[in-house]
Amino acid sequence: MNRRGEKFGKWLVSGPPILYLLLFFAIPALIMVLASFRSAGEFGGLAPLIDDAGKPDLNVESYVRFFTEPVYAQVFVKSFMYALATTLICLLIAYPLATLIAKSAKKHRDLLLLLVILPFWSNFLIRVYAWMIVLGPQAALARTVNGVLGWMGIGPVSLLFSAFAVLVCLVYVHLPFMVLPLYANLEKHDQALLDAAQDLGANGWQRFWRITFPLSLPGVYAGAALVFIPALGIFAIPDILGGPNDSLIGNVIKQQFLETRDWPFGSVLSIVLTVAALALAGLAAWVGARSTSREASGA
Amino acid sequence: MKRALALLFCLAALPALAKDTLNLYNWNNYIAPETIKRFEELCKCEVKQTYYSDNEELLAKLAAGAKGYDILVPTSNAVTPLIKGGQLKPIDKTKLTNLKNIDAKYMNTSFDQDNKYSVPYAMSTTILGYNAEKMKELGLPTDTWAVIFEPKYLEKVKGKVTVLDSSSELFAAALKYLGYSANDTDEKHWKEAADLIKRAKPYWAAFNASSYIKELTVGNIWLAHGYSNDIFQANLDAQAAGRKFQILQGMPKEGAVLAVDNMVIHKDAPRPDLALQFMNFMLEGKNSAELTNLIGSGNPNTDAVKYIKPALLKNPAIFPDAGVAAKLEQLKDLTSAQRKLRGKMWTEIKASR
Amino acid sequence: MPSGQTRSQVRVQNRPRNRHSALLWTAAIAGYAFLYLPLVIVVVYSFNDSRLNAEWVGFTLDWYRKLAHNEEMQQAAANSLIIAFMTSLVATSLGTMAGVAMHKYKLRLLPILVLTPIAIPEILMGVSLLIFFVLLDFSLGLVSVTLAHIAFCIGFVAIVVRSRLAGMDESLTEAARDCGASPWQSFRYVTLPLIMPGVIAGALMAFTLSIDDFVITFFTAGAGTVTLPLQIYSMIKIAVTPEVNAVSTLLMLLTLVLIVIATKLSPSLLRSNQEN
Repeated sequence: MNRRGEKFGKWLVSGPPILYLLLFFAIPALIMVLASFRSAGEFGGLAPLIDDAGKPDLNVESYVRFFTEPVYAQVFVKSFMYALATTLICLLIAYPLATLIAKSAKKHRDLLLLLVILPFWSNFLIRVYAWMIVLGPQAALARTVNGVLGWMGIGPVSLLFSAFAVLVCLVYVHLPFMVLPLYANLEKHDQALLDAAQDLGANGWQRFWRITFPLSLPGVYAGAALVFIPALGIFAIPDILGGPNDSLIGNVIKQQFLETRDWPFGSVLSIVLTVAALALAGLAAWVGARSTSREASGA
Repeated sequence: MKRALALLFCLAALPALAKDTLNLYNWNNYIAPETIKRFEELCKCEVKQTYYSDNEELLAKLAAGAKGYDILVPTSNAVTPLIKGGQLKPIDKTKLTNLKNIDAKYMNTSFDQDNKYSVPYAMSTTILGYNAEKMKELGLPTDTWAVIFEPKYLEKVKGKVTVLDSSSELFAAALKYLGYSANDTDEKHWKEAADLIKRAKPYWAAFNASSYIKELTVGNIWLAHGYSNDIFQANLDAQAAGRKFQILQGMPKEGAVLAVDNMVIHKDAPRPDLALQFMNFMLEGKNSAELTNLIGSGNPNTDAVKYIKPALLKNPAIFPDAGVAAKLEQLKDLTSAQRKLRGKMWTEIKASR
Repeated sequence: MPSGQTRSQVRVQNRPRNRHSALLWTAAIAGYAFLYLPLVIVVVYSFNDSRLNAEWVGFTLDWYRKLAHNEEMQQAAANSLIIAFMTSLVATSLGTMAGVAMHKYKLRLLPILVLTPIAIPEILMGVSLLIFFVLLDFSLGLVSVTLAHIAFCIGFVAIVVRSRLAGMDESLTEAARDCGASPWQSFRYVTLPLIMPGVIAGALMAFTLSIDDFVITFFTAGAGTVTLPLQIYSMIKIAVTPEVNAVSTLLMLLTLVLIVIATKLSPSLLRSNQEN
């Protein structure tokens, strides 16, 4: 294929998604990036771009506020911790699930996959309410836990309205987004490799850790990205079943757009969140690329 | 043949498409279905409802430029930014023959002088909801904000209390308890209120505006800071479910927030004529009473009294007597600078341990 | 080698059962149990004779009866399904293209364009799209919502497709080209079947994200546009009655049936390459 054909192919494949995202994402997003440099409207929304004196209303007040008031950074750190915990727990639960589906007979695979995603076609809110019932103080789970704790001499704890409830729900809501990418990767693993390793004397754990897991890393990174990044910005779960200390950055951002009506500051917080998330994703990708190349050249 | 049939279908559907539509942007379950049906018969039009669950959601959407709505139902403190932001169409009061039905004390307020843009619709108060049996058992008062702010009371209900997840409502309750006006804007008083809240926070189960009613009704929560309509409903549900306790409304003696919701017309309303017709219809006592009978909301319409169930009329949380009414305040909107300060204090409260 | 069987299939037949499969099975079953526990509650509580639906009171079919008369809710459910199917279709196509492009070519703009909608808080995206549509005087309705959904779903599909392609053997595509296949043919008959599990995974994710979206839908919906999440979230401060459980249960079943029918109608599209 000649150079020009190659270039044409490149634009043919990448063109449509780029155009779509430029139009329906980048341009609207740039409007809000500009908003982060403007002032809040007195009654809501944004102040006019050109004020009465004919001067453009641009400033960095909102950015200065973010960097001089430490409480926002605190909430950011808390959100990172929650998102990280959610990602790791999702990985632990999703891996066996995805492996089972990938290893199943062809005719079962589609059904098993659909069964994973089926619960998520019910509404988010009633799934969270269902968890409130499961974690409620009068339900079996709480009574068992408190029974055990009582036997150990510790006072009763509430499973609901707590960090535990928020974490359980976060994991639940994000689980399919870890299972699906992992499955897509594990499905292509050739059983022959593992059989050869078994022939050479490797036990189950060694086969997993030195063959399966490294090969599945792209799937792990994809799943981690699709769980960690959205989990950073979530607000509905703490709102519904979080305790008084479980406010996350998503809640603070929502508050800026609604109660406080400070769109510029809300934009600043959103931009910081987005940039941080992208930076982490980029860092993870870089680390991943370096370790695979090191393995390829060294091991 | 197929084409002819298709054309016939289209023509048959045309009259339905051409039907007049009134676009009502309202809180969910804030108008009785019978009322809507009756209006649709009267005006030979279709009423399309879309919903929001918070004034702020309404404000944000309109501030970004959304249109297509005829009637909106904002609370008074949301009417102010809408008026000042030029989002509303003035009302032609000559078309509102039933306007005289509204109690004079809810008309011509500082939110909309002369009622140029808005007409009162329904009301509620933000009070205490409690499990009657538990509170009696623990010997706790139910007519003062102290019970959600003072550690000496909170100790007995630790982890069984929720407060609303709204900075304006919670600050208003704190300010009232401290003896100030709910609309006090003195930064020192706000600091006092914030400290009061932070001191009480460790005893609360959650800041919650969405699921506290469920928890109160099943007995997982014993005391809640909430809206009078919801608490009224909670008791109906508790009795219907056969629970052994009652959920009662507690009006704090220090006073509380009164929320008056109003009907307004959006500046770009496609059918302002239908909107005015709807407003006048809802100003009739019979129609206004249907909502009160449905959800236990307060009613500013004097003509509605004869249609409201007697049990509701006797309920002091829905129809407070003059003494209590004097201590109720409507929340005013804050300036941008005040909102930013409040927002910062709220985030600090949420982040404090 | 016996005909009709791949090398790995032959091996598996001759291998003793893996000692660790018991552990794998237990962990996987536990995973499914975790996924289905709330769902069982959702379905069971759709028959609960309690408006607030916080505890089991008694059995009733009333809520399903109410739903049968509730045109608003039905319309909302129908709208949600339509939007989700359209979103899934377009987002999967565009996302697959993006995933393939990111794997094959060294692009700098596309990865950022693809990843940022996932990172950006929904409320910012919703407000910005609303402002954008208003600026263009684009009327708000089902179309504006669908366009918005596609925008944030493309990234999910692209990332999964790219991860599926990672480390994929280029020799197959090269061999096809050597045999004279055009770029489209080598994509359609070699690459596409290989990435199909990734494409399906992406499509399922896009569908799920769209059918459950609230924030972005709230801002980009027009007057009179209802989707199920909009309907349900507006009930959040009053009472999310068992009618919502009922409509969710029915919607899940309907979607499952539709998808099963779709797979039966186009088996060649969804079977992976190994069976050919």
